[in-house]
Amino acid sequence: MTRLVEVPSQFDDRSFDQFASAFAEATKDGERLLFDAHAAEWASPYGLVGLLAAGQAARGAGGGSGGGGGGGGSAERPLLTAPTHADVLTYWTRAGFFREAADLFEIHGKVPRVKAADGSDVLLPVTPVRAAEDVHTVVSNIQQRASAILASELGLDPKATMGFAMALSEACQNIVEHAGTGGWVAVQAYHWRRKLAKRVVVIAVADAGVGFRHSLEPTQSKRFGARWGDAAALEAALIQGVSRFRDPGRGQGLAGIRRYLARWDGKIAIRSGTARIAIVPKWDDDVPLKDGLPAFPGAQVLIIIPEQGSTKP
Amino acid sequence: MIQHIDVHAVLQESVSGIYTDLVTRPTGRVVRECIERAMATSAGDGAVARIDFTRVGCIDYSCADEIVAKLLRSRPGVLVLTGISDGHREAIEPVLAGHRLAVLIERPDGTLEAVGGPDAAAALLEELVVRRLAVRAPGGTFTLT
Repeated sequence: MTRLVEVPSQFDDRSFDQFASAFAEATKDGERLLFDAHAAEWASPYGLVGLLAAGQAARGAGGGSGGGGGGGGSAERPLLTAPTHADVLTYWTRAGFFREAADLFEIHGKVPRVKAADGSDVLLPVTPVRAAEDVHTVVSNIQQRASAILASELGLDPKATMGFAMALSEACQNIVEHAGTGGWVAVQAYHWRRKLAKRVVVIAVADAGVGFRHSLEPTQSKRFGARWGDAAALEAALIQGVSRFRDPGRGQGLAGIRRYLARWDGKIAIRSGTARIAIVPKWDDDVPLKDGLPAFPGAQVLIIIPEQGSTKP
Repeated sequence: MIQHIDVHAVLQESVSGIYTDLVTRPTGRVVRECIERAMATSAGDGAVARIDFTRVGCIDYSCADEIVAKLLRSRPGVLVLTGISDGHREAIEPVLAGHRLAVLIERPDGTLEAVGGPDAAAALLEELVVRRLAVRAPGGTFTLT
């Protein structure tokens, strides 16, 4: 039997919990999964890398381009029905989604032959991150393209480009150092009409690895006692700069990202397990910490840097 | 004698001939170990080493910690960073401040600036003058002797 997981028609961080709920329900009995994206109208980079993470988890330890999965599901490849809308299909292809999805899913639907990142809005197509070398490639590829976008379209000081590359590097390293599996990153610039009516640059990073709670449990669970869980682990990592390593220099990455975002009025949100934490700028109405969400493996990171100037909601 | 270490050359020789960025902990570890070996073959404790970051693209917080902070903690000698861009500094300064460490940055005009934790920075400049490794110029700036 095949279990259906519906991909939201507008698939982004806001609809991700709906997706995670369907995923959690469908994976209960270990049956093969069918991810149904035929009605998808739009997906953010967060949605795309999140969908790959779900495919990775559903495939279990069978492999795939993201490395071994963390979900423990069926080794048989899950099914994916591609979006039927031509523009959506083209965009997903251009964003590099299908290049990565081909190894994880049995894809149903006609995928157009469009080169990934063939457009100015895709700063970095969906890119696998498995090892330190992949982070080098990501940082090297992003700098030239991001420099133009950050300075000319977002009004950031040209000096901010290096900080952006640093933030991206640290977000990707989280996968390499803590996930226990591979993951994906995507960077895109777009006009965010719904929230800001401004241009934004978005970094999305996702994996289906062990997640923050599991990573920090050996060193942190006693300190938190009964409070220990996904929310406490995220709080420890993002707010307190705690790392699973005892080396005193560890934990710099997320702290550095926070500093960068504070300077440019940006936002970070991290979802792991059943919790989600966010550093919420004034222009956003997100909730700082949510617990009791539908369980989803690994960690999913969202970073948003808005066009500079007034960012009133 | 002041030892000169070209970080870009170390990166190209030890990690990759392609990349110019100092990112990720494993890269930082390899580069630091190469620098440590080069320094070990040079003069003994208390020597001055000029670590040149010219042609290094981005340096992230992990590499700043793995290279600069760990060199400062392990090496009793004096480190002087040169070729430091604003972007490099953005990574190095908060990392050192978090450790309450300080390092010397040599500006293009040869003047020195101690960056990192404020107390450590002040103490570092003071120590250099006492050890006669640096002198205070009339304008309040410091230069290596």
